[in-house]
Amino acid sequence: MAAKKLCDRISKELAEEVQKWGCMKQTGVSLRHMMDFGSTASPRNLLISAQFLHKELPIRIARRAIELENLPYGLSSKPAVLKVRDWYLDSFRDMRSYPEIKNKNDELEFTQMVKMIKVRHNNVVPMMALGVQQLKKDWSKVDYEDLREIHQFLDRFYMSRIGIRMLIGQHVALHDPNPPPNCVGYIHTKMSPLEVARTASEDARGICLREYGSAPDVNIYGDPDFTFPYVPTHLHMMVFELVKNSVRAVQERFMDSDKVAPPVRIIVADGLEDVTIKVSDEGGGIPRSGLPKIFTYLYSTARNPLDEHFTTTDVATSSTLAGYGYGIPISRLYARYFGGDLQIISMEGYGTDAYLHLSRLGDSQEPLS
Amino acid sequence: MAAKKLYESFSKGLFEEVQRWGSMKQTGVSLKYMLEFGSTPTARNLLISSQFLHKELPIRIARRAIELQNLPYGLSLKPAVLKVRDWYLDSFRDLRSFPDIKDQNDELEFTRMIKMIKVRHNNVVPMMALGVQQLKKDLDLKVDYKDLDEIHQFLDRFYMSRIGIRMLIGQHVALHDPNPPPDCVGYIHTKMSPLEVARSASEDARCICSREYGSAPDVHIYGDPDFTFPYVPTHLQLMVFELVKNSLRAVEERFMDSDKVAPPIRIIVADGLEDVTIKVSDEGGGIPRSGLPKIFTYLYSTAKNPLDEHSDLETTDVATLSTLAGYGYGLPISRLYARYFGGDLQIISMEGYGTDAYLHLSRLGDSQEPLP
Repeated sequence: MAAKKLCDRISKELAEEVQKWGCMKQTGVSLRHMMDFGSTASPRNLLISAQFLHKELPIRIARRAIELENLPYGLSSKPAVLKVRDWYLDSFRDMRSYPEIKNKNDELEFTQMVKMIKVRHNNVVPMMALGVQQLKKDWSKVDYEDLREIHQFLDRFYMSRIGIRMLIGQHVALHDPNPPPNCVGYIHTKMSPLEVARTASEDARGICLREYGSAPDVNIYGDPDFTFPYVPTHLHMMVFELVKNSVRAVQERFMDSDKVAPPVRIIVADGLEDVTIKVSDEGGGIPRSGLPKIFTYLYSTARNPLDEHFTTTDVATSSTLAGYGYGIPISRLYARYFGGDLQIISMEGYGTDAYLHLSRLGDSQEPLS
Repeated sequence: MAAKKLYESFSKGLFEEVQRWGSMKQTGVSLKYMLEFGSTPTARNLLISSQFLHKELPIRIARRAIELQNLPYGLSLKPAVLKVRDWYLDSFRDLRSFPDIKDQNDELEFTRMIKMIKVRHNNVVPMMALGVQQLKKDLDLKVDYKDLDEIHQFLDRFYMSRIGIRMLIGQHVALHDPNPPPDCVGYIHTKMSPLEVARSASEDARCICSREYGSAPDVHIYGDPDFTFPYVPTHLQLMVFELVKNSLRAVEERFMDSDKVAPPIRIIVADGLEDVTIKVSDEGGGIPRSGLPKIFTYLYSTAKNPLDEHSDLETTDVATLSTLAGYGYGLPISRLYARYFGGDLQIISMEGYGTDAYLHLSRLGDSQEPLP
């Protein structure tokens, strides 16, 4: 069982190092910088990148490890949260004990190590979700307002995780000897938002079909030739989430009706500063009073898989995210990571419009808190 | 010329009264309450209503008079602002010097007096706008809208309060109408059809557009034609008119010199349990996210500003200006009207495509007036 106190788990020296590195200033990177830098994946550049990560990642990881120790309402002592904390500590120790990176061999080894760190942290989201669930069981009537501190923590925590995984993933991907055309690591320099929206919608319709036996149409409008640099996996994740919610709302509204389910409509608009993707449905909408809840963690109208007595080990190996109530808040973090945003407006009795704003200029610094 | 200092133009006694009444607690009323109370406009109820106003209006008016004296950046000293302050002081004095309301005659006289107070304040908005314009000329030419944040917040409070005062007065006066229209309780239409109001406001907006550009895009409206709920039609008319006016202008300017047919403005009226939402959508090209905060600030307008051409305009001439177009007040004030009865106005734009404006109206009507 994971030791509760930091000092039980790691040496005094390491604990001090965590404190020291957790106070150091973080350095943000913009999408454009990642793209410019990564388009020349020379050994020299890879070395520079590795050396940057060698200094930057421990700072970000230590910061989160410290926060995990100091959560309100006793959240820090929950078994699942302790496990996450241990992952962060192990990764910090791996980074700090890695010697200086001097040549190509060092660099390749380092890359292997950060790749494994990323894998270690694969299930942080469901594990933290389980931790908050464990906390909720202690409380009888949980008011979402009370949990605001926790929501804010989770926002910072997950945003930081997006950044860490982007930096690691980008660095690792730059080692690919045969990258896909027009790609710089995770970044597709000519990404077509229309194409990504199409794929994500099909995936979402697939899920709906499997669950309900049918799925409303999704109609997509926009310039098929328009492209801009972005991370397709991020966009896919966000559009998938929005369309999933929309098709579910429409399906539930029109399931037992004679009327034909109205299609979900997606508009892809390209401006000078922004690319905006609107996902509109006629699924009946949400009253204004219910809207703040959809951006909170652990609010979900789908059946919550965590309710069925998952143990910490189960979650560590689980692979589905549906029903945790994390889709919308995390999609918003992804949108904001590169300077964009996600806004949801609803018309009670009619339907909901979700607006995904993506910054087209790409010069936004990563948000670092 | 209006005296600059309060105590120079009015007696010390009045000054102290303003201070005292301006610190008293305001009492808010909800739409539902106004509706229930006003549906029985008996002589007794009218007496009660006037006695309430006799106490409540001076509190609200004094509060604003004090604020007008204490504006940042020297705004309080601008001629136009001094004029507005004087209107508030005169109205305060009229109310405070009116004796106790004991019977129907008193009540009728009181009603006539507050009717005149309302008329006195008819041009407060363009006059304050002139005042801010006068201030802008003094400030550095590169005025950042963020710097004027304090002033924007003041104007929001000020105009919200004005909406409340005029609603209370107007409602009270209207209850004296011996032949009210069917289903109306003062300003409130108990069976207002938002679809009907949207239709009429859109036609008015299309007229303005036709007059200015020679043509106007179509406006399509979708919603349940039988749906009604209690609300103040003039408020809704004002808000929808403003939104449609902006949408028509955006679309017209975008497609004027194009071969393509201008896409219609689309309005959807949705009725829920808690809210009634009216969405006005256009394909007028949209606004970048960076430009969006500006549209809710006062005095930002992409239309030609009539005040710019009258830099030497005598303060009195503004009172005769009857159009508000181009002051840049339409959207922020529409939002205040929406919020007055517990609703809201949200605007989301898609740069390169168009803009959607969402007017949320509370269906329950039990929201207290916001009292800043």
